[in-house]
Amino acid sequence: MEEMVATSEQISLDHEHALLDLVGIHAGYGTIDVLHGVELAVQPGQVFALLGPNGAGKTTTLGVASGQIMPSTGSLLLMGKEVTGTPPAVLARAGVCLIPEGRGIFPNLTVIENLRMITFAGVSFSDVLDRAFLQFPRLGERRKQLAGTLSGGEQQMLAMSRALASDPAVLMLDELSMGLAPIIVEELYEQVGHLAESGLSILIVEQFAQSVLGVADVAAIMTGGVIQRIGNPDEIAEELTEVYLGIS
Amino acid sequence: MEPEAQETPSRVPSDASPKWERPKAMRGVLPTLPLPSALRNPVVLMTIVGVAIVVVMFWRYWAGYDVTAATLLNATFIGIAVGALYAMYATGLVVVYTTTGIFNFAQGAIGVFCAFLFWELHVNRGWHTLLALFFVVLVFAPALGILLDVVLMRRLRTAPLVVQLMATVALMVLLLSLTGEIWEQDTIRRVDFFFGLKSSIEIFNVNILWHRLITIFTAIGLAIGLSFLLFRSRLGVAMRGVVDNRELAALNGVRPGLVSSSAWAIGSSLAALGGILIAPEVELDPTNLNIIIITAFAAATFGAIRSLPLTIVGALIIGLLRQHTITWLNFGSDFRFVSEAVAPVLLFIVVLALPRAQLTVGRLTTNLKQRERLTSPKEAIFGLAVLIFLALVFSKGWLNFGIWDPGEWGSAPLNSMNVAMGLAIMGLSLVPLTGWSGQINFAPLAFGGFGAFLYLKLAGIGGTNSGYWILLVAVLAAPLGALVAIPASRLRGLYLALASMAFAQAMAMLFFPHSAIIPSTAVGVQFGPIRLFGITFSERESYFMLLVSVFAVIVFALVLLRRSRYGRRWVALNDSQAASATVGVSVNLTKVIVYAISASIAAVGGAFWATSNGSLEGVRSFDVINGLEIVLLMAAAGVSIPLAGLFLIFRPVFEGLTERLYDLGNVDWLAQFFDVLTTFGPGLLALGMVINQRGAIYEMGRGFSPILPWRKDAREEISREWAQKRDTEFGELGIARPFTANEIITLDRRLGITDQVTPPGGYSSENNGSGSAGSDGNTSGDNTSGDNTSGNTTSGSD
Amino acid sequence: MTSLLSVESVDMRFGGVQALSDTNLKVDTGKITSLIGPNGAGKTTLFNVITGLLAPTSGRVYFKGWDITGLSVTRRSRLGIARTFQKLEAFNSLSARDNILVAAERRRRRDHSDHRRPADIADELLELIGLEDVSDITVGTLPTGTARLVELARALALTPTLLLLDEPSSGLNEEETKAVANLLRKIVSDDLAVFLVEHDMNLVMDISTEIYVLDFGELIAHGNPEETQSDPKVRAAYLGSH
Repeated sequence: MEEMVATSEQISLDHEHALLDLVGIHAGYGTIDVLHGVELAVQPGQVFALLGPNGAGKTTTLGVASGQIMPSTGSLLLMGKEVTGTPPAVLARAGVCLIPEGRGIFPNLTVIENLRMITFAGVSFSDVLDRAFLQFPRLGERRKQLAGTLSGGEQQMLAMSRALASDPAVLMLDELSMGLAPIIVEELYEQVGHLAESGLSILIVEQFAQSVLGVADVAAIMTGGVIQRIGNPDEIAEELTEVYLGIS
Repeated sequence: MEPEAQETPSRVPSDASPKWERPKAMRGVLPTLPLPSALRNPVVLMTIVGVAIVVVMFWRYWAGYDVTAATLLNATFIGIAVGALYAMYATGLVVVYTTTGIFNFAQGAIGVFCAFLFWELHVNRGWHTLLALFFVVLVFAPALGILLDVVLMRRLRTAPLVVQLMATVALMVLLLSLTGEIWEQDTIRRVDFFFGLKSSIEIFNVNILWHRLITIFTAIGLAIGLSFLLFRSRLGVAMRGVVDNRELAALNGVRPGLVSSSAWAIGSSLAALGGILIAPEVELDPTNLNIIIITAFAAATFGAIRSLPLTIVGALIIGLLRQHTITWLNFGSDFRFVSEAVAPVLLFIVVLALPRAQLTVGRLTTNLKQRERLTSPKEAIFGLAVLIFLALVFSKGWLNFGIWDPGEWGSAPLNSMNVAMGLAIMGLSLVPLTGWSGQINFAPLAFGGFGAFLYLKLAGIGGTNSGYWILLVAVLAAPLGALVAIPASRLRGLYLALASMAFAQAMAMLFFPHSAIIPSTAVGVQFGPIRLFGITFSERESYFMLLVSVFAVIVFALVLLRRSRYGRRWVALNDSQAASATVGVSVNLTKVIVYAISASIAAVGGAFWATSNGSLEGVRSFDVINGLEIVLLMAAAGVSIPLAGLFLIFRPVFEGLTERLYDLGNVDWLAQFFDVLTTFGPGLLALGMVINQRGAIYEMGRGFSPILPWRKDAREEISREWAQKRDTEFGELGIARPFTANEIITLDRRLGITDQVTPPGGYSSENNGSGSAGSDGNTSGDNTSGDNTSGNTTSGSD
Repeated sequence: MTSLLSVESVDMRFGGVQALSDTNLKVDTGKITSLIGPNGAGKTTLFNVITGLLAPTSGRVYFKGWDITGLSVTRRSRLGIARTFQKLEAFNSLSARDNILVAAERRRRRDHSDHRRPADIADELLELIGLEDVSDITVGTLPTGTARLVELARALALTPTLLLLDEPSSGLNEEETKAVANLLRKIVSDDLAVFLVEHDMNLVMDISTEIYVLDFGELIAHGNPEETQSDPKVRAAYLGSH
């Protein structure tokens, strides 16, 4: 409760015009509660970075936003419409695109089959192939290869192709940089930047602030299942180190 | 979720194993044997053992027929044809299991039902072969599969494994009894070979039935079609995607229902085709046809219930091995069922060769009682005294309400009650094993049969037998349990269930039919009466009372055991093996103890069961299905509660009731109703687990316990639940859930409440704040705000 | 003097992933030692190696000077190593008291003058940790924070010499976290070492005597809280710029 008061004092979220809107979300797994009243609103065209330490509830927040986790209380709104409890497949076809943590690919499917899976979001196969291979020519060279045998960077590119090809309304990225070499992370975030320029709303979850600073419009710190601070990415990044290292 | 916790050094490359197969690692707990390193690989070891068994078999039991190219080829050919049939069943199993996570024990029963339907349409009603085939395989079977998926299986995806297993086992039993009801088993039915028995083709001097050739080509066609579907079609890619990563498939927009329904449709079509094609090879008999499923299980485990090519290879190996065994070997009458044991033994070997189950962390236990309340010894004594009193009333026929003739109670019903009490004691063996330790065991009857065998050897048939032999049976059976625990502790969940089923089938085919184990003279013969404490229990009545007392004593012992450190340890082991090990509980030793105790109880039950008149009816007595009925009824009643054993008297009670009602004559409709209930009751009861996972006894206890004067806690719990219900129902303007913050905003906007300065997130805290600030002016609102956590009423009162 | 626990050149590889490389550390009694590091650094893996849930690819683990690398999980716990889990591993269908009893019944007595029965231990711990009110409630139905405390009590019921705590504060509210901090300070003695993996840095800096920092499977820093906080390598690890 204390934390919620703090939230409402420091920032004011524009819930009314938000594209993706989480209101008072409490959620968890089984009896384990993870989120304790999350307030989050992503405006059209905004790049929103959600930062915080491990176990803060960032992935769970994305789980709620993508329909994978049913919140115990609170509501999820998409373009002002209440969609709490809608299954993830339906949300996906409605334009919610989540690239999950740790390679959002099907390892035992070939590259081409992985791309074919994207068509279930309601886009034609030829469009998918065109866009994916245009952005990531390397995938075109490996089209017959099993996705599990690709390098980490290529796997993440394959995962990212869904963001590019499925024409989403809102894109959510979970720890895109995890376990990847800095140069590849840079390359991937360049793509994210292009997507942002094209006017796509993006919600990025990262543990490390560094990689998202260039693209984010707004950043927030999450700890203990609540959003503690929302603000300018640079300010937030500085505070983040303090949060991590316990300097207060 | 920390990725480091997900990394696993499993034997299978991680990208080849689907999510649910990924074990967390732990060092092998069994001591490493001093063997060359190649032999330490269980696959190699098991292969060597398997080949050795085969070699010894061929050397020892050679029937002495001439081996010519023609006979060899003929046997091989039939073996392939039969293997192809197994492959149809098994690939259906694998497709369903990988895409939906449900292992369908009813796969065989679906085949049985469809084969009978085919017989009905084709033979009985004279439909054209192709039309009947088309209707059953491509219309009826897929529709049945989709129906099963939509009505039942989807609900089971997140259910505990025991519930998943019981549901499909129940479905199997239900389909078999349905088949038995529709097509009465007094006539012999045959489905002819396609193109008849005469129509054959000669290849390399061997006459080959067209039917078998068609079977082989169908199987090849199916394999090609299935791989085309899975690797070329969009639906197939989606199915494989779901296998790979279910969550991600949903994130891609794949409808999970579409995929699971497709899988079930394909699975039951394959079962139907397998059933129809195999029907001419065996007599059209539900039990016989159904048992083929164990062969399919064995074939599926060859591919770790994952790989279709390996599954087909497994099916062919079993088909060939079985056919060559039948052709070349002669085992004599004692081992006449060896060919039927090929599949279960192979299943057992393959399951044991799989990588050992690892200690896993991160499993959620759901569906728990809030307050743990174990039955106290006093309560148990009281309850069991009531039970014994009721049994006495029943056996003496004191309370018959004039419906039946007391004199008749001495005969048939009491006999079947005695048989059932033996089964009930066997059922009790599952309480510590499955109910508390979570070790699934489909072979209680095999353990019970071992007890019967021991008692037979110790006491013998005829003459008065000392009841103390029963105690010796209990002691002697314990090592068997301990022995079984060693392979069993390698396994977990589904594989344990499969292994125990294979064990039951192998015992039924190899052990019990042997004349030295249960002699054929034991069939239908009553053992000599038991003498205990100077009383000879020679009458049915007194014997019934003895059985009830033994049941009561074991229940009481179980109540005490559950309250002891061992009971706690077993439950703990079921909750988390990893945590058990870290608090110093030896996982293996604990399992050995619980298996030994369970085997002892089952053996006692088996000894009493065998001595009841009418229990032993030849080898069929030990059929896997009979054992499964014990498991099914225990699970339906609630396997963690000892009193669940009483559910085993279900069948004799209802059968007796039905008979009486028919005898009365004027209430035939009621009699028919009970007849149907007797047939389908166990299956339906077990399906009830889908809704009530804790079992019927638990719910009955919950309803009953508040009546007991000393169960204040039960009454409190009930009133608490009522209070909770009331609150949600009437909490907010009569709707069953609290308003969401967004609804509150909308409502306020509509109502023209404009003092909205904070975002909705701060709503409740904001209201609390204003409530405390203006508390002096809002004294009457104090009690309402105490009950009502949402801010709606307070803002309305402003 | 040998350390209570010493991990020597431990390597842990999962397929191509190097989860721990050449890890060396020591934990002594009478102190609270912490292990920190970003997500995926290998902290839980190290705990699993110490308790025997994982066998290291190479390297040894010594406890009281004995090489315990080859011992089973159960044997290690009988030697006096107790742990809690990052993701709760309480016995969910047992009551809180029974959870503690299971451990207390497998307790290794520290000396012969200790004649407490398992039931006494359970009651003592329920009181010490403040769980009397929930003693007969099934742990699976308790809130996370409380269940975590039950797990802690269960670990303590073994009367261990080495207590490994994997993120004891996650799921706990501020008050409960403070209570745990106080409890840990209280129980650390000449007979007990506490080894902590934790993300709540306020808690870590507050109670630790010694801190190890792990990043991508490698120990990058080691020192007291002040040194750790000001270490540029540590800051870089947490910012994600390598």
